[in-house]
Amino acid sequence: MADHPSHDPLAGVPFDRVPPAGAYGVTGEPGIVASTADEPFIALVIARNGHAASVAGRLSRAFGSEVADRPRAAITAASTVIGTAPGRFLVLSKTETDLPGTLRALLGAEAAITEQGDAYVAFDLAGDKVPELLAKGALIDLDPRVFRPGDAATTVLAHVGVTLWRASETSWRVLVARSLEASFTRFLIASGAEFGLRLDGRAPGRG
Amino acid sequence: MSAPNRNRLASGGLIDRSKPLAFSFDGTDYHGYQGDTLASALLANGVRLVGRSFKYHRPRGIFSAGAEEPNALVELRAGARREPNTRATVTELFDGLEATSQNRWPSLALDALSVNRFLSPFLGAGFYYKTFMWPASFWEKLYEPVIRRAAGLGRAAVEEDPDHYEKATTFCDVLVIGAGPAGLMAALAAGRSGARVILADEDFLPGGGLNAEAGDVDRQPAPAYAAQVTAELASLPNVRVMSRTSVFGAYDSGTYGALERVSDHLAVPAPFQPRQRLWRIVARRAVLAAGATERPIVFGGNDRPGVMLAGAVGTYVQRHAALPGQAMALFANNDGAWRGMLAASVAGAHVETIVDVRTDVAPALVAAAQARGIRVLTGAQVIATHGKTLRRIEVATATGRERIAADTLAVSGGWSPSVHLTCHHGGKPAWNETLAAFVPGTCPPGLTVAGAAKGLFGLGACLRDGAAIGAEAAQALGFAVPAPDLPDMADEAFALTPFWHVAGSKGASFVDLQNDVTAKDVGIAHKEGFRSVELLKRYTTLGMATDQGRTSNVTGLAIMASLTGASIPETGTTIFRPPYTPVSLGALAGHHRGKDFRPVRLTPTHEWARAQGAVFVETGAWLRAQYFPRPGEKDWLETVSREVTAVRSSVGLIDVSTFGKIDLQGSDVGAFLDRVYINGFAALAVGKARYGVMLREDGLVMDDGTTARLAPEHYVMTTTTANAAKVYQHLEFCLQALWPELDVSLASVSEQWAQIALAGPRARDVLARVADGDVSNAALPFMGAIEGSVMGGVKARLFRLSFSGELGFEIAVPARHGAALAQALMQAGAEFGITPYGTEALGVMRIEKGHVSGNELSGQTTAGDLGFGRMASTKKDYIGRTLAARPGLTDPDRPSFVGFKPVDRARRLRAGAHFLKLGAPPDMANDQGYMTSVAYSPHLGHWIGLGLIKRGPERLGEHVRAYDPVRGEEIEVEICAPGFIDPEGVRLRG
Amino acid sequence: MRIPCPYCGERDAHEFAILGDATLTRPDPAAPDAETRFHDYVYLRDNPAGAHEEWWYHANGCRQWLRVKRDTRTHAISGAVAARADATSPRDAA
Ligand SMILES: [Zn+2]
Repeated sequence: MADHPSHDPLAGVPFDRVPPAGAYGVTGEPGIVASTADEPFIALVIARNGHAASVAGRLSRAFGSEVADRPRAAITAASTVIGTAPGRFLVLSKTETDLPGTLRALLGAEAAITEQGDAYVAFDLAGDKVPELLAKGALIDLDPRVFRPGDAATTVLAHVGVTLWRASETSWRVLVARSLEASFTRFLIASGAEFGLRLDGRAPGRG
Repeated sequence: MSAPNRNRLASGGLIDRSKPLAFSFDGTDYHGYQGDTLASALLANGVRLVGRSFKYHRPRGIFSAGAEEPNALVELRAGARREPNTRATVTELFDGLEATSQNRWPSLALDALSVNRFLSPFLGAGFYYKTFMWPASFWEKLYEPVIRRAAGLGRAAVEEDPDHYEKATTFCDVLVIGAGPAGLMAALAAGRSGARVILADEDFLPGGGLNAEAGDVDRQPAPAYAAQVTAELASLPNVRVMSRTSVFGAYDSGTYGALERVSDHLAVPAPFQPRQRLWRIVARRAVLAAGATERPIVFGGNDRPGVMLAGAVGTYVQRHAALPGQAMALFANNDGAWRGMLAASVAGAHVETIVDVRTDVAPALVAAAQARGIRVLTGAQVIATHGKTLRRIEVATATGRERIAADTLAVSGGWSPSVHLTCHHGGKPAWNETLAAFVPGTCPPGLTVAGAAKGLFGLGACLRDGAAIGAEAAQALGFAVPAPDLPDMADEAFALTPFWHVAGSKGASFVDLQNDVTAKDVGIAHKEGFRSVELLKRYTTLGMATDQGRTSNVTGLAIMASLTGASIPETGTTIFRPPYTPVSLGALAGHHRGKDFRPVRLTPTHEWARAQGAVFVETGAWLRAQYFPRPGEKDWLETVSREVTAVRSSVGLIDVSTFGKIDLQGSDVGAFLDRVYINGFAALAVGKARYGVMLREDGLVMDDGTTARLAPEHYVMTTTTANAAKVYQHLEFCLQALWPELDVSLASVSEQWAQIALAGPRARDVLARVADGDVSNAALPFMGAIEGSVMGGVKARLFRLSFSGELGFEIAVPARHGAALAQALMQAGAEFGITPYGTEALGVMRIEKGHVSGNELSGQTTAGDLGFGRMASTKKDYIGRTLAARPGLTDPDRPSFVGFKPVDRARRLRAGAHFLKLGAPPDMANDQGYMTSVAYSPHLGHWIGLGLIKRGPERLGEHVRAYDPVRGEEIEVEICAPGFIDPEGVRLRG
Repeated sequence: MRIPCPYCGERDAHEFAILGDATLTRPDPAAPDAETRFHDYVYLRDNPAGAHEEWWYHANGCRQWLRVKRDTRTHAISGAVAARADATSPRDAA
């Protein structure tokens, strides 16, 4: 029996470069569509001692969504606020060009603000097979019956630290440290190839 | 090809006769059918000799029909996919399967090394211990090569595995392990409650024993009942049936390891499918329904091909419609084996003789056998076997000895519950006298055992128990369980008389077939005092093969017990550790192999550096530019020297984004920094940076770096690349656990900011062209830190810092602009011949300048050792202060930080060399310290070094030897101050 | 092993780093016998077979330091609280 070549979706892709956009794995309608975006504006809000509840309240009113001091994503059309740790919130905005300034004005002395817009690459994952793909790297329960829209977690996927949340019934977002974009994309392709994965190019961001 | 198999029944079984599958064994072509295992297909084709044994190269056949198989181990597939020691009994037949027998030369039928059989007196128990004690050198040269050739298992593939493996994690309420009668019912009861259920089964066809059962269940054939239950389970959205999946380990907190053989039943995995998938299953409750393993009776010649477990005979006949032989006999001590053989007889097997050690077999059973023309010998024992493969058995009865023709001897000594997973948390199985078997003892939390795995050996009992245990598991989690509809089954009585070993046997009687351990070996172990079960195992290797002694452990224990006169539980128990069945290393690695072994971090300028021709080096998880060779340069040293010279004479740039960067905000940051650094930070002015040294609480140096104050309540700290995560974790510990009252917030900004160091006399000229604001010495003096912008509006943090000793700046911009900044600097510096440099040149320059780095921050050095003693504040407490004052850490004799030059300037220095006084013999007593870092200094034109030597700073000018026994070198060196270039710091303040 | 993080929920131990005994208190550096006390604080450890309270850092999660009660014989975890939760100035005093 001759050795058959194995199907390696990453054959020929340098390990130290973000794999190019395109279709990977089985042909046909992709089971997963992945796209990356330079999320326009991201800032980390850290409530100072004793101010977590107040900060959550102010964020709720300002962004028009239910922000609580727990691992949830409060999502509106223009913004997402995710709890990552007690008193810590990652704020993502599509519209606030000076997000840190806006937040400082909103929260005053109650919170420390750190700009993080360049720290992450946001992966948007869509398709029925996303939970199955993520299960190949996650150590948490991402069963769609358990991990509901709006649920969020700061955890690891294939040894890469991430903050992820379920944006809707059929879409998930994953924030990955910028330096790990290539490694993480390789994991997505290797794990998603059996379902067919389409990787879309970087959506235009700010810079 | 379509001709019927020689030993295949014309009808029946769970094979699909319309789907023939071609396969080969040792080069001969055969065919079987969909639904066959390799073992059942070989038997159906009349192949009875399938391998040679591990130690004595004795001919061996197929012994079992499951995971317990000790004999029928083959090399499966060929080339890069060749897999040794594959159990034919659990290998699902596929079209084109290629298998080869193991441990034979030149051929299976004629094995030259079976002479080992005649050496068996020498290869017996304790062989390894006794034979190779002396002399040690013989081991490598003589013993091992000979033994390796003579004894051993199959050959692993030498090429890289072409297949892909993966790992996954899943969660459930109830994990059911095993899809036999108990497991199916447990899954059904739990599944109907709505609980999330996973049913994992190692077989490719759910049903377990039901698939080998001749009778009806619920008014339909047992396999049809299994299929019906499986179909209902598959229809439930909350139930996942995982076939071809072995749960191999029970770990902490309800975590189970399982191996799914996704593509093992295919010649080649389907496109983009993994070969195997390793599952981590987190279950709130688990039901172990792994069934039981039949055990043999030990007698003379019991390893001859044709001797087979009775249950296996039943499985091959009922499930695979394959006859192991044409003239069958049974040797047993229990009723269950009789019933199985009678059923096989009804199905078409030629059962001719039943030998039972008991004298009191139920008359109804005897009558039923005789009614089928079977000769019954009770109170009788098989004492020997004859034939190359089995031809005749020799039976001792009350009246004498008799040879009886038989090509297949089914053997049953009773059943051992598969308690393996119950032991994985240290639980010890308990001995049950009635069953003459170990049953589960203390189980891992959340795991309960159902059916045969806990010693229920009736089909009805297993079905009822499975339903009850499955319901109980779901109810414990709050699920409402509807009353299960159970098939009405009456169970036959369990009748067994313990019997282990035919004492009056002729010929070798094997206890452990895979490791070739005989009853005599157990006797030797007893005679020589290795009587506890642990010693018995190690002395004889009983139960230590890849089958983990499934068919041998209890028998070995029983034989030892009879020799010592102790009971079996007094003699010991058998404990099992993970994995239950072998797990391939590929599955354990999953996606993380080769360059994907671990995630790799790329700097913001990685692509730019690649375009500049960089050679990269791994530093921790990062990939950094090591140097930038140019055409014509003959080696890295030439390249690095060029880069250093360019920086010292003009200007160069390097990406330093890999440093840890931490933003600190709050009203107490100054006070906090005072507590974590040895030097003072409370007085640091806004717009200034300061170098700081951090200790561990034990007084040794943890890390160094600079911290800048950007605003009254906003600081940014840098750490070394290597210690970034460690320092962040330490600071969080200080804030959360030690001083939670402090108003300090930490945020890692390592990923947010790209940072590029610009160094050299022309650095300011270059920066001025890129920065939007004033970067003059007045606006940005040495150790200055300001926020501003570059490249026409890109936010930036500008620091006036120097690691190289030259006029230097570090420019931080948001990470997505990192590459653009590098390009802008290159363009701005073009007229000065700006040169990108890598970590090697950076290292050379810091050694020339006498800065410490990772080699000196070794976790064994104090601030004093490194020359930072005077930095340490005496006006405050800080982490590590108290213990740093201990006499051992302040001993003036401690090796301290200085520089070194070779006396003969032409010679090369070596890091790691130890210092000795001139003339002192090289031994530990004379060890004075060691060289930590070396570099060739293009500035000085010779090698230089940094190192730690006793009372170093007091000995400047003294000559010592740098002794390097690893490379066989010894060099006379001169101790000097650690700064080789610009010790007054004129350049960096320029 | 799985550790119940009070913020993140139950997580696999792979996400955590362990530091050891969480019952120790950093001594007063101004105490006359500070060196002895720091020596004990840094080096002396009980090695209980049974209930133990340990520091675990949720490195790949919320980055909280947790006090985890773990049975060293069975790995059974009976609870976990954040370091700040029992601090004099908890985060949510307001
Ligand atoms: Zn957490």
